[in-house]
Amino acid sequence: MSTIQRPTIPARKTSTGSSPADIGRRRRGVNREGLEAGRRSTRTILWILLTAALVLYGFPFLYLLFTSFKTPIDTIAVPPTILPKEWTMANYVNALSRSGVPASFINSVQTAVISTALSLVLAVPAAYGITRYKTRSGRVFIMAALVTRMVPPVAIGIPLASMMASVGLADTPIALSIAHTTISLPLSIWLMSSFFEAVPKDLEEAATVDGCSRLGALWRVVIPVVSGGIAVTAIFAFLASWNEFLFALLMTAVRSQTTPVVIANFQTQFGLDWGSMTALAAVYSIPVILLTLLLQRKIVAGMTLGAVKG
Amino acid sequence: MRIPDRRFALYLMTPAALFLAVFVAYPLFRLISDSFFKISPIVGGPRDFVGLDNYVHAFTSPDFIGAGWRTLAYTLMVVTLEFALGLGMALLFTMLGKASQVWRTMFLYPLMIAPIVAGLLWKFLMIDNFGLLGSLLNQAGILQNPNQIGWLSNPDIVLFSVAIPDIWLTTSFMCLVLFAGLQNIPGDLIEAARLDGARAPALLFRIILPLLRPVIAVALVVRGIDAARAFDTILIQTNGGPQSASETMSLLIYRTMIRFGDPGLASAMGTIYLLAMLAIAFVAVSTIWRPGKDT
Repeated sequence: MSTIQRPTIPARKTSTGSSPADIGRRRRGVNREGLEAGRRSTRTILWILLTAALVLYGFPFLYLLFTSFKTPIDTIAVPPTILPKEWTMANYVNALSRSGVPASFINSVQTAVISTALSLVLAVPAAYGITRYKTRSGRVFIMAALVTRMVPPVAIGIPLASMMASVGLADTPIALSIAHTTISLPLSIWLMSSFFEAVPKDLEEAATVDGCSRLGALWRVVIPVVSGGIAVTAIFAFLASWNEFLFALLMTAVRSQTTPVVIANFQTQFGLDWGSMTALAAVYSIPVILLTLLLQRKIVAGMTLGAVKG
Repeated sequence: MRIPDRRFALYLMTPAALFLAVFVAYPLFRLISDSFFKISPIVGGPRDFVGLDNYVHAFTSPDFIGAGWRTLAYTLMVVTLEFALGLGMALLFTMLGKASQVWRTMFLYPLMIAPIVAGLLWKFLMIDNFGLLGSLLNQAGILQNPNQIGWLSNPDIVLFSVAIPDIWLTTSFMCLVLFAGLQNIPGDLIEAARLDGARAPALLFRIILPLLRPVIAVALVVRGIDAARAFDTILIQTNGGPQSASETMSLLIYRTMIRFGDPGLASAMGTIYLLAMLAIAFVAVSTIWRPGKDT
């Protein structure tokens, strides 16, 4: 989506105009600008460094995958081996056939979907109100939303749980998704505000001149333009809920337990079954890793927008 | 007929504001009011007003003071290491330019992994006896015996060990943000400095870092807040042990609430913790960021 722009550092710090930079680039005749290394030997060294860093960085997760294919005895062999001596799916079969595991997947999906939808429904109009009409209440509101980011979940988890219990929602995916929305909503408002900021104001003005109401202009003109931004925000909200553990631990018992809680419970409930734990962790992580790698460009834009904007 | 723009904007914000009021502000209010009571953990049990007793108890409790220092040490360690590693990677990617794009994406993968999974994974790598880390260091000849370093069992180093998954998970974030900031430094500025004979360290400390200041401030504050709230990775690795050596504030509050069943005291701790976070974040933003002042 073209509305996702490269974030900029506040202009007053760096703006020197773009033309001198262009001249500089042309003068050197190659497309290596600024910090990019030109010399061949330097680049070789840099590539070696990068490869080493990536191998180190990627190894832990690969080891998790390898371990998940080991036999149970191999898993805790001394000394440990990196690759399985014998490749087996036994851990996957064990982990997934355990009672509560399939249900926890359904709970995780349900909770994350409800929380994502709730975040978007609340954040999109709010962010639009903040960015399009620069009112005082809008500025106060976005600051307040940022302060909520600092609230430790452990501090509000218990009061939230008892609130949910008093309206009969204890131990339901709805209660947990509301809790997760307290995390993702401020983030979503923040992200959506930067996306709306990038939409030219003339767009809705033209629409309102043509007889559209303000709400109509938002719905029919602006929302389609920021649909890429909405997708990014949705992914963040989804990930926040999918990977969340503390609220899930405090607010769910048996019925609505999500997979992260089940993974943690493997430690105590079933002794130390490392093999099954690694298999379940792999099954839980791989879909989101693949999804995000597929959508990587949009996600990178969203992450940097959210953080750099400040 | 037509409602004024200002009111229209207010209407748009109302649902989100109401949501945050009901589900964040109200629980916070409950937290603060609970902190003045001695509350029985049993549902419907007695609830006696005790004034500031819980606060006095918190501040005179070695557990609380210890957890406070550990949280501070943990946060500083995580943020410093992440910043150094993230900046290094961001510079590496910038110096390699477009050719490194695919690898830049691969580098992001830990960001998608649940902290609980990361904690588990690193626990598996560092655990005594069958942990791979000690065994590899042993084979490389660095350690005489694979269990020489009790990563998660030695109280002196455990706070560092439990920080590793956190650093592993979010160095990518730091790198990503700093990389975006680096892209915005005008190339001719670097060029001019090079022509003036600036060496690499001067380039880094005199030009790049000052220009990145706003980006660095945001990245440090965002990550600092998250690190100070770390819970999942520590809980799964050590549950705060051995001998509370890795018990940070979130874990202590959790334990006070759930295990010791003292919601009043836990609420007082939570309130102090929140106030401290707000104060530190405020100071950090105004000193590192210095909006409006020139660098």
